Amino acid sequence: MTGIWYVVGFAVAGVSFVFLTIGLSWLITHRTRGDRHKGYPYESGIDTYGDTHARFGISFYIYALMFVAFDIEVIFIYLWALVFRDLALAGFVSMLVFVVILLVGLAYAWRKGVLTWK
Amino acid sequence: MTAIARAWDNLTVTGKILVPLLFLVLVVAPVATVLIALFVGPWVVDVLASNLGIVRFVVAITGVLVFTIPTAFVIIYMEMKVIARMNLRIGPDRVGPYGSLMSVVHGLKFLSKEDFTPTGADVPVFTLAPVVVFLATVMTFLVVPFGPGLVAQDLNIGLLYLFAIGGMNVVGLLMAGWASFNKYSLLGGLRAAAQAVSYEIPLTLSVVGLVLLAGTLSVYQIGAAQAGWFTDWFVFRQPLGALIFLIAGTAEANRSPLDMTEADQEIVAGFATEYSGMRFAFFFFAEYVNVFVMSALIVTLFFGAWNAPFPFPDVAPALDPGSLGIGLVLLLAAAPVALTLLFAAPFYLARSSTPAWQALLLGFITFSVVAVGGLLGAAYLGLDWFAGLAWFMVKTFVFVFVFVWMRGTFPRVRIDQLMGFAWKWLLPASLLNLFVTAAAILVVEALNKAG
Repeated sequence: MTGIWYVVGFAVAGVSFVFLTIGLSWLITHRTRGDRHKGYPYESGIDTYGDTHARFGISFYIYALMFVAFDIEVIFIYLWALVFRDLALAGFVSMLVFVVILLVGLAYAWRKGVLTWK
Repeated sequence: MTAIARAWDNLTVTGKILVPLLFLVLVVAPVATVLIALFVGPWVVDVLASNLGIVRFVVAITGVLVFTIPTAFVIIYMEMKVIARMNLRIGPDRVGPYGSLMSVVHGLKFLSKEDFTPTGADVPVFTLAPVVVFLATVMTFLVVPFGPGLVAQDLNIGLLYLFAIGGMNVVGLLMAGWASFNKYSLLGGLRAAAQAVSYEIPLTLSVVGLVLLAGTLSVYQIGAAQAGWFTDWFVFRQPLGALIFLIAGTAEANRSPLDMTEADQEIVAGFATEYSGMRFAFFFFAEYVNVFVMSALIVTLFFGAWNAPFPFPDVAPALDPGSLGIGLVLLLAAAPVALTLLFAAPFYLARSSTPAWQALLLGFITFSVVAVGGLLGAAYLGLDWFAGLAWFMVKTFVFVFVFVWMRGTFPRVRIDQLMGFAWKWLLPASLLNLFVTAAAILVVEALNKAG
């Protein structure tokens, strides 16, 4: 149980460190109001044009989907690797079947051109 | 020094009061500590001794936070200097000897810059983004073993913890990209997300081979499993895994040549475009600490952790200092004087024109060098954790240099090449590595059973 307290302690200490430093900086620095252009998003010197939160390519979405599939597989493989010596050949074969099924999915996505950034 | 003077001029009146106060605290605090130790020392020792767990907890956390600051400074200076040399420039040479205080001045400059939030920014998210990024980096230190016994907490799920916390980094980058209300930032954040989800998988898969070999998820145990000659290091049994880990680690740490998230020719500064002052500083503080963490992980997992490349000489202390009693005090008092005189003699005798005080000074300097060298050597031989720490830092900084070297050498890749490489090459290669390792373990165990 001490482990979880260390995790919490690190989180609390890290957050306080950042906020204390930013707070110190906030206390000692200049602040000027400036004109309305000061707060504008940087767009190479011209006023901002169009909607900032615009639409982006679908490829981001498909990569994220594939990530979810493979990341769950990774968690599973970690636990499998931990007990691999007890499972021996049976474990090897079943994991091979499991990964091959996932690889078929990858091959399908590859053929469909998902892996090519457009 | 003009840079310091300029930073000073930039401070407001409050700043001119607060910064000296800060230095006052830094000077007064140690003196006060000594006084307190003298007067309430025994009582404090009693209390601390009965709460050793809490003391260790506080020391570990403070130690890590304090350790990150000089580490980042050293790596930033190293990067400026090394890349300058690679570009046939000189690099920073104004502040401090060979410009070595340049990164300190950078830090002071960031501290004295305006804390600015652009119009249209999502303020809470904009404020929290650097916190998340910094936290993701600092929390990985929890399981990094600096030497035998020198680990904040040896979690039994260390590797999973590492990748879980390391993955938080990209959440921070995405938050920064979204909250900045800037097209370049949003693109940078999305690129960070796409890159992280692609390289996370080869990164995590590349170390499964180690889990198979070591039979544990604890980072400390994996490090301890590599003791002995350097041929026992896992890099010789998992060369493909080490290579994949290095490449995917570069992408995870957003380092050149895989730093699409902040490709300055394409999207200004990516997620950091709208950030300035201390918040910006935290992104880059985190990035350089991340370089250290990545190097430390490569060393821990593949290059023998804190273990020396050869079996450690088992030197028992020839003399127990405690047995000397009062003689130890006399020795400690007499040795500096005697040795200073001894080292001063050749300087004095060599040239008759040398004044006595100069010879004594030179003698004292020689003595200091010899004493520090001797103490370090004795500590190396006598203290396991010191020798481990020394090897660990040396090896880690070799890999920090490799990261800097890559940045100075390789051109940045295109984003489509970057994504394609992760899915079409690294992912199949890491699965291949996994199954070859598993098959090899099965074969070796079968042979052991037969023979």
